[in-house]
Amino acid sequence: ICFSVVRTPTDSIVAQRRSKNKSYRQSYRSCLGAASRLGHTPGWTVRRLNTSRRTKSHNITEKVNPEHLALLVKTEWQLSYVTPLYQFRHTQLRSYSRQLSAFITAEKQQGLAVEVEGTQTSFRVSFSVVQGLGETDDDAETVLVQIHSKPVFAGKDEAQKLVWSGWLTCINGNPEYLHSLPKDFTCLPLFGSRGAENLTSLVKSWFQQTFDCCFGPLEINQTCQQWLAALWTNCHIESSIQHLKMIWTLPVEPPLQITYTVNPQDAWELWNSVRTPLLERREEEEETARSIDIEEVTRFMQGLMSHFYRHFRLDLSAGRLSQVSSALGSAKFSGRIKMSNSRYVLTTLSLLTECALLKMPI
Amino acid sequence: MDNTVKRLLERLVRRIPSRMLKTTLDKWSRLTATQRQSIDYTESKWALTEKLLAICEVFMLVSPWFHTDVIENPNLGMWYAFQLMDPQDDAHSVELTQFKEQFKSHLSELIRHVSIKIKKHTDEAVWIRIAWGDTFSRPNHLKPTYVVHYLQTPYVFLSSLTSKQKPLLSQALVLSTRYQAIKDANLSGRKLTAIRDLLMKQYLQVFPTKFPSPLAERNRVVSNLHIEKEQAGSAANRHQMACEAFGDGLLPQLQSAVYKLETKFRDHTNKTMTERDEAFRCVVKFASTNLLESLRHSASSGVASTPVTPLLSSVPLKGKNYFVITDNGPGPSSQMKPSQK
Repeated sequence: ICFSVVRTPTDSIVAQRRSKNKSYRQSYRSCLGAASRLGHTPGWTVRRLNTSRRTKSHNITEKVNPEHLALLVKTEWQLSYVTPLYQFRHTQLRSYSRQLSAFITAEKQQGLAVEVEGTQTSFRVSFSVVQGLGETDDDAETVLVQIHSKPVFAGKDEAQKLVWSGWLTCINGNPEYLHSLPKDFTCLPLFGSRGAENLTSLVKSWFQQTFDCCFGPLEINQTCQQWLAALWTNCHIESSIQHLKMIWTLPVEPPLQITYTVNPQDAWELWNSVRTPLLERREEEEETARSIDIEEVTRFMQGLMSHFYRHFRLDLSAGRLSQVSSALGSAKFSGRIKMSNSRYVLTTLSLLTECALLKMPI
Repeated sequence: MDNTVKRLLERLVRRIPSRMLKTTLDKWSRLTATQRQSIDYTESKWALTEKLLAICEVFMLVSPWFHTDVIENPNLGMWYAFQLMDPQDDAHSVELTQFKEQFKSHLSELIRHVSIKIKKHTDEAVWIRIAWGDTFSRPNHLKPTYVVHYLQTPYVFLSSLTSKQKPLLSQALVLSTRYQAIKDANLSGRKLTAIRDLLMKQYLQVFPTKFPSPLAERNRVVSNLHIEKEQAGSAANRHQMACEAFGDGLLPQLQSAVYKLETKFRDHTNKTMTERDEAFRCVVKFASTNLLESLRHSASSGVASTPVTPLLSSVPLKGKNYFVITDNGPGPSSQMKPSQK
């Protein structure tokens, strides 16, 4: 049903699998070596986010398991990037569940000299595939990891609760890059997690050990946040954003936080006024599915900032944009994202996949 | 002993930091010397509370705690400033005893079950603690309202007041202070002392002088002599204007300022929006651990252009931190050309 779909390049390169004891740096350097041996430096000389984005909203409620979807949209996720996974098989998920479960239990037991009855928390891990999220055949299927456990002093009949969840995904990953990866590597560059920090690090450790990959923090930088602000505002007619809120932090002593909340209708009118006019209307492109260019986003933000400057004579660009939010979701510089509306999950994940691919040290 | 009273005592003891417990209880005149000595401060707070409950079986606990609870810690919760308007002829000669009698009698007339305690503090502030009840229930001492009024000034500060209680309290205040109305001063904050200082201008103000001389900056960090020399003039200028707008030295600790903007969008590069008749509605909130210092530093460091815009300098000038800006009122369209250099 689901295989890791990575096309093998024409020259077959054997990626030397380092032993598990060696450090991660060596393993992704081997990947780097492979890529350069291929002679492909696919589009990575221009290391910027795409300057144009499709804005089509996707009704994925039919395609995706409702439980999975509900989990995705109801909560805030902490993002990381992940380097490609070596020999990850979508068919082995059951085995991975057992392995990770054993790994976590073992780590938690470290330091206990004697096995104490009844005070252990048992962890049940489940790996599953979130079908229906991918857009292209190049994207590997999204993997969801959930950890259930019983609280320490729970009664016998109390059910296990979901204590941690995370996912790895690749939506609209750059096809040149994906094709350039050596055989046996699966690219799922975007990792989102929610739950206790110690469990997150355990899960990451296990992935790093098992698939020779590397995790790193993914910030949602200013450009990315501005894209989201524009994308959300663009959707106002379809799904009301209720407000557009932006938070800046200014580097003064003591630090000053400025929260700028704009009425949704006024934000939408401003956005509409900065759009590049369509010279001719193409038949297949509906109004809502037009692409957005970075220039339009920049003009939008400049409009907002200049209105602010007119009143306060304070230049917001002197500070850092730390958060944008609306009824459709929120994005923080620290790498926390919330996608509140299922229609825009794919657009958001596309943008974030791009950010993750750019941030990766390859 | 009544359950509510027990709960009140537990709650109050919990709020006092452990290290201050002995001094607080010593100040409490209801305990005799022997009782005070019998309290073992090395015990846990919980054990101590039980001990106190045992000692205080017969006493009503409310009034002595009033002093230690809030007066010593006036930074619990939000305070809102109000201003009395239109004084009558004898408003300025209202003195403490008269105010106390009048306030108690007016408020008790308006609401059946209410417990009022009035106390004058050393700094001329009159503190009022009100526990509200109604026709059917006794006053609730767990959620009191605090009022602070400086006699002979029109300023009143309130904490923990519901919308139902507001008209009753306003009425009582207006009648007992001999004014005709009371209005929201649009100033709020967590620190009572800060909003008081701001409203009553009790902080170091700086006035424009004919011969401006650079104010000596504290903690000058000399990074590069050449840059310093180049920038000295404009830096000094910015610093002077920042202090003129916000004050010098330690500034009252205000946490936030909110501006509700309902002005038109005007940008010569954007014809569509400029031609719009409707206002561009947005709300801007500035927040910081010490807002005035942040704003002053923004001005002196150049992040905010000087001279400081009236919107920001209105915070200390008018003693307000909530503003509604329209094109007719205080706003960019009515901004005057900067008269200071």
